Amino acid sequence: MRTTRFHLLHILAGVLIAVLLGIHMVRLHLDAILEFFGVDSEDPTSWTSMIDRASQGIWAALYIALLAVALYHALYGLRGIILELTPSAKAGRVVTWSFIIIGIVVFGWSAYVPLHLLSS
Amino acid sequence: MTESSTKQIAFKVQRYDPEQGGAPHWQQFTVPSSRGTTVLDGLIYIKENLDSTLAFRTSCRMGICGSCGMLINSYPHLACHTQIEEFHSNTLTVRPLPNLSIIKDLVVDLTPMFHNHKSIKPYILRQDAQEMRTPTSEFAQIPQELNDFLQFAYCIKCGICVSACPTSASDRLFLGPQALAQCYRYCADNRDEGQQERLRVADTNHGAWHCHLAGACSEACPKGVDPALAIQLLKRRLASQALGLRGKRQASSVVSPPTQTKPKIPFPEFTVKGSA
Amino acid sequence: MKQRQPRQNYLGAGGWVWAGKYKLERYLYLLHRVTGLGLLLFGIIHLIMTTFFRIQGQDVWESTIAVLHNPVFKVGAYMVVVAFVFHALNGLRLILQEFGFTLGRPIPPVYPYKDALRKKRPWAVIIIAVVGILAVVFLYDFISGGW
Repeated sequence: MRTTRFHLLHILAGVLIAVLLGIHMVRLHLDAILEFFGVDSEDPTSWTSMIDRASQGIWAALYIALLAVALYHALYGLRGIILELTPSAKAGRVVTWSFIIIGIVVFGWSAYVPLHLLSS
Repeated sequence: MTESSTKQIAFKVQRYDPEQGGAPHWQQFTVPSSRGTTVLDGLIYIKENLDSTLAFRTSCRMGICGSCGMLINSYPHLACHTQIEEFHSNTLTVRPLPNLSIIKDLVVDLTPMFHNHKSIKPYILRQDAQEMRTPTSEFAQIPQELNDFLQFAYCIKCGICVSACPTSASDRLFLGPQALAQCYRYCADNRDEGQQERLRVADTNHGAWHCHLAGACSEACPKGVDPALAIQLLKRRLASQALGLRGKRQASSVVSPPTQTKPKIPFPEFTVKGSA
Repeated sequence: MKQRQPRQNYLGAGGWVWAGKYKLERYLYLLHRVTGLGLLLFGIIHLIMTTFFRIQGQDVWESTIAVLHNPVFKVGAYMVVVAFVFHALNGLRLILQEFGFTLGRPIPPVYPYKDALRKKRPWAVIIIAVVGILAVVFLYDFISGGW
């Protein structure tokens, strides 16, 4: 049942991304629509706005959570596509382990940044 | 009764002879066709009158044996089941089924598909091995239980779904829609107790989870078996098992043949008396 | 007579794109895959931006943002949003259908055959329509200055 469990995690990660990334997109990109609903804010990509968000724990938590689920979902999906092209089980194992290592490394570095900005 | 007109249809057939080597190439034939002429009739006409080296599989000519699957005008059909008239065109392109190796001309190698089919154990498995070897009774099954899997039992193993599947196009190790649909057909059969073993085969890296619901298999299936539905229901079983949700289902009980039978009707007198 | 091996006849990855005249769901699968890969690519670039460039201080950050105000990048950002909306909504449809929830029960086949996906095609069409509507709504936002 191992493969099924990883696949179910992939689906759960997808649903979580839909929620978290939705929040992220609305905050970052859709300020015209937010203004329509009465939330008024300056350009969310400016330095001051970004530093303001970086010092709030809730945004750091959101970014790290989004990073974890998005990395898992994306790497599992890409691994599936590559496995459909690899001819043997042995090559498949090499692919899987490389993805695991890449995922851990990228998560480690990318989670460090919001934590560093939070504390500074 | 009006005379149906006979048209001359151009058949572009892909030829490939392994003994002569080289790449597959096209050969054009002109075949007379009228209302009711199937593509298979056209191919038989070619073989009998124009080029007897053309190789293709055929048997029942009525859409039940699954031999004559081929790609006709870029879509997989059973050649015996396909009228030339339905294409409304004077040219027909006939190619062997993709995603299966070509043996010669329009004959493809179905062995990988049968191998995958065998690997999911397409037979009833029960705990009582003695009963399986020397059956003494029947398995009880009501019509509603039969309807849960009957649609998927109509598979004629023609290989058209495997040709349509985009995953089968690149993934050699994929079980394929035919094997996965049959895996569900046996798991859903209430007479069967082998679900654990079969789900282990479908749960692998190239098993049920490489199906991405393109739906081409069900669309192309010539018998309406709907393998896509079977595979999604199989995924539901896999997920229930992984999450520990599925309760143990009682396999069908064993029913002894009836001891009380109706009184035998006497055999009637022959109406034609035999010659002495 | 020497036994010859059957000739390989696989469509390969090209078979994901074109294998014949199929209908809607097969192209939804293809689009789901393409948008997924596109979002992955964008995600890599975005991760580099928000880690390496964010941590290097105000000057590097503001010069990066200045580059991104170029219209080419704004169009790219819009396409990323539409790709995400399509991938998410189609993904939700796939989650429901891949567990067989909205597909109905198996029925004995009676000609002309209608398979479960074709019977439920209206739902897939509704999802595409929703994606289209949202794409237009976001286009309004994109044109009116936000990015």
